[in-house]
Amino acid sequence: MLRTVIGDLARLRLSSSSSSNSCVLVTQVREKGHLSRPRLRNPHWFLRKERSQTDDYVTAENRNFVKEVVHETYGSPALIKGVQTYEQKLIRTPIEKPSVDAEPWTPKVRRCGVIARKIGQYPLWLKNGERVRTTLLQIVDNHVIKYTPPEEYQPSHRPSVHNLHKYGCLLVGAESTNPALLTKEYCGIFRDSGVMPKKNVARFIVSPQAALAPGTPLNVGHFRVGEFVDVRGKTVDHGFQGVVKRHGFKGMPASHGVTKTHRRAGNIGGGGEKGRVWPGTKMPGHMGNRWRISKGLRIWRINTKYNVMWVQGSAVPGSTNGLIYIYDTILPLRKPKEAPPFPTLYEDDAAALPEDIWYDQVHDFKDETITYKPE
Amino acid sequence: MSAASKIHKATWCAFRNLEQYRTKAKFSSSAIGTRNELFNQEQRRQQDAVGRIEKIEIRYLGLPEDVTLLMNKHISTPYNCAQHLSEGHCKRSALALIDGTIPWDMHRPLQESCTLQLLPFNVSEPHVVNKAFWRTCSFLLGAALHKSFKSEANLQLHSFPGPNIKSGSFVHDIVLSSQRWQPSKSELRAISAEMVKMSAQDILIERLDVQQELAYEMFKDSRYKSEQLPSIGKQNQGRVTLYRVGEHIDISRGPMVASTRFLGKCTIGVSHKLANEGSSGAFYRIQGIALPSGYMLNHFAFGLLEQRAQKLNSARLPHEPFEEPQQMQIS
Repeated sequence: MLRTVIGDLARLRLSSSSSSNSCVLVTQVREKGHLSRPRLRNPHWFLRKERSQTDDYVTAENRNFVKEVVHETYGSPALIKGVQTYEQKLIRTPIEKPSVDAEPWTPKVRRCGVIARKIGQYPLWLKNGERVRTTLLQIVDNHVIKYTPPEEYQPSHRPSVHNLHKYGCLLVGAESTNPALLTKEYCGIFRDSGVMPKKNVARFIVSPQAALAPGTPLNVGHFRVGEFVDVRGKTVDHGFQGVVKRHGFKGMPASHGVTKTHRRAGNIGGGGEKGRVWPGTKMPGHMGNRWRISKGLRIWRINTKYNVMWVQGSAVPGSTNGLIYIYDTILPLRKPKEAPPFPTLYEDDAAALPEDIWYDQVHDFKDETITYKPE
Repeated sequence: MSAASKIHKATWCAFRNLEQYRTKAKFSSSAIGTRNELFNQEQRRQQDAVGRIEKIEIRYLGLPEDVTLLMNKHISTPYNCAQHLSEGHCKRSALALIDGTIPWDMHRPLQESCTLQLLPFNVSEPHVVNKAFWRTCSFLLGAALHKSFKSEANLQLHSFPGPNIKSGSFVHDIVLSSQRWQPSKSELRAISAEMVKMSAQDILIERLDVQQELAYEMFKDSRYKSEQLPSIGKQNQGRVTLYRVGEHIDISRGPMVASTRFLGKCTIGVSHKLANEGSSGAFYRIQGIALPSGYMLNHFAFGLLEQRAQKLNSARLPHEPFEEPQQMQIS
């Protein structure tokens, strides 16, 4: 059902002949999101990720030896940009920026996204004194694993992207792990690129011009302050919740003779010929633990030393330390007008960036405090 | 179990082996068939030759407690002693230790009163079991190679050197009628798969001590075995020890583990060409690595073991002349 709504909207967009300036409402349609009885059939490419831990009979010195070999192969453990990870020795560094921009950026081009973790919330103040709630997202050790061009990309779980056949797929991994803890089949995904096996892997649908070489690191410089992002995360699991919390019903008064009905739904349907409870009637049930996208959040501030970005508001789904996928926004009025770092920000350009980048309107904490002139 | 029923059981086992080999003999070559036929005949003859049954006292030392068992001389095996203890003992014991020093096959008849220890792989001093396991792996590799090659290859199994676990691989030397054989990855995987199949079938590994003349008769079609037999017989008072798994028979000093069940994760990694043999043949050394069953290891650590097994094993080469009389002892 979600698809048909987006299909309608897409058709609406196409039929209105004007450019992206036409006012199109993109609303969220929240359905249950799953079948009533789980009918799980794993796709043919499904790989088990973690192996059961049963190295009971390995001596301590052999365990240390295996650890040493892991460190020698991939690099010793290090704190890189605030994340406990390993130096990536097998990737041919530095990843070279394409010398000539063969295909420059256009507004229609889809860029890669990043995998981040929600690490907290903090207020920021604008220069006019206004306080803004922001959520901190840290990009954790992202590397590109592989790129599949559009001709070869035939996914069994199709993403809901219009004209998917025009786009390729970039596989990005986050958070390097010791390969001894993972299965051999899962580690096979990372064998060709030389990237150390990652805990989390995600796909990003990109235009062929925005393809990246395997092993390219993705940092926060991929985005710029003042631009807008869509943020996808798994919402907090509230469990079985009543109708007041789940759907925002008003409930009934606490007193004045009201008997045994304070937080109930009340009436659930009318009579007449179609006198039944309609499908989709809002009732108590499981709330949360769903993938949701918050669209059009502005980036107020970026820290390149720790790969952190401050995004608008507290509407980032999920709890602290939850996984977040960050994309360039699809909201037409908030898309960038100038070229962002394309296809991504490479090492030499990243070195030129300062550690803390604030949006123009935001008050830098290092500046003098905001004062109001007396009237 | 009475003596009469024990003999009945032994001959019944021999009959069962005979039947098994009969069905297989249709598919295997006649040389193998004859060899197995001779093996079975000799086995039956040795069982019948026991005659009057005498009793021996076996003092079992170990868990759950030390006990004395009254067993039949030249008939009862350490496996039979384990059967008196528990099914767990039967399934887990890979090798037996007589009088604390002599390693003994689980299915080899005991000859006199002694102390007995049953050795699984997780015993505190596993050197003896480990060596027996390594030797068994080389032996099974020979059986797997025999099943894998077509008759056009003219595969001749030469021998396998003594087990050396520190070298990083177990080894079997063969002769093929090609001087440019290089196995592909899938071919090596197929040979490993043969070994794993044997392990899944839980085939008994039988031992037989035969006279040199009978050994000549059995291996008359194999050129290299016939050449080795005189020196082996000379060291062993004119007797030769044979081992059989399924329908594959080979010469080895022993001991081997009780059954193919004890083979766990196994990879045949590489084949090294050693030297040319004649105008059209060559010596090859096939190397592999294996873990006993029940031992889990993550893929990264096992990958390190596989890499180590790729290096040419420094055990004595088959085509070079033996320098010392000790070296003539095939493992």
